[in-house]
Amino acid sequence: MLKLLKITGDSLTPEYQNGDFVIISKIPFLFAPPSPGDVIAFRQVGYGLLIKRIEGVTQYGEVNVIGSHPESIDSRVFGPIRRESILGKVIWHIQKG
Amino acid sequence: MIYQILNKIDQQVQIEKVKAHCDIPCGIYDPIIAQISALTVVRMLDLMTEFDAKTPDRNKDYMNSMSRYIAVKEEHAERAKAEIRVIWGDYLKAQHLEKYPNAHALVHKIMQLGSKVRQSTDREQATQLVEAINEFAQIFWETKGIATKRAKAPYAPALELVYPAL
Repeated sequence: MLKLLKITGDSLTPEYQNGDFVIISKIPFLFAPPSPGDVIAFRQVGYGLLIKRIEGVTQYGEVNVIGSHPESIDSRVFGPIRRESILGKVIWHIQKG
Repeated sequence: MIYQILNKIDQQVQIEKVKAHCDIPCGIYDPIIAQISALTVVRMLDLMTEFDAKTPDRNKDYMNSMSRYIAVKEEHAERAKAEIRVIWGDYLKAQHLEKYPNAHALVHKIMQLGSKVRQSTDREQATQLVEAINEFAQIFWETKGIATKRAKAPYAPALELVYPAL
């Protein structure tokens, strides 16, 4: 229902920094489907558990994700992700500073 | 305060990590290689026609020169196809395809024309290949928000190509 995760990496800087904590949940998706702007955690084959921002939703219901860093590994590299791969949306962001 | 508490907990129980990783994908895509390759196909056909007209003897020198033109035509037709396939497969994403729903059909047309110009010596089909790749280049640059211009290539066969207007 709720999951606590710690961020490693810089692809969502400056908003999400390396070492920040996030709490994710699928509960928000009971009320609204994943939408552009949502920050989500998902599993991607070959990359593991990733956190990115949703850029858009395809006509097939798949989700394109993007990082804010220009060298982010995201849908520009591995394409859209399936809804089933999403573990949850960030509902609380606990920053280092 | 909450962060410090969570950090302490992390040191004790290792909270699961979620990666916000970066890499260095090259991100360098440009349809110009395909455009020049298609232009080369037309050029080879022109050279073949010219050479054939001025060389009455079908001797081994004729065969040698003609086979070289054909080899270059083959190579460049295949290169044009390969370059377009890479941009289509690696660069174009779902949101681009939603905006340009004819992109799949256009790429298929380029693949077909690329094969036809290998199989034949039909100049008309070769110029169609150039134009189809121009159309693809137009879409490509539009996805990047870059305006384009059409200009004659500064070398034979001097057909029009779509260039980014930088």
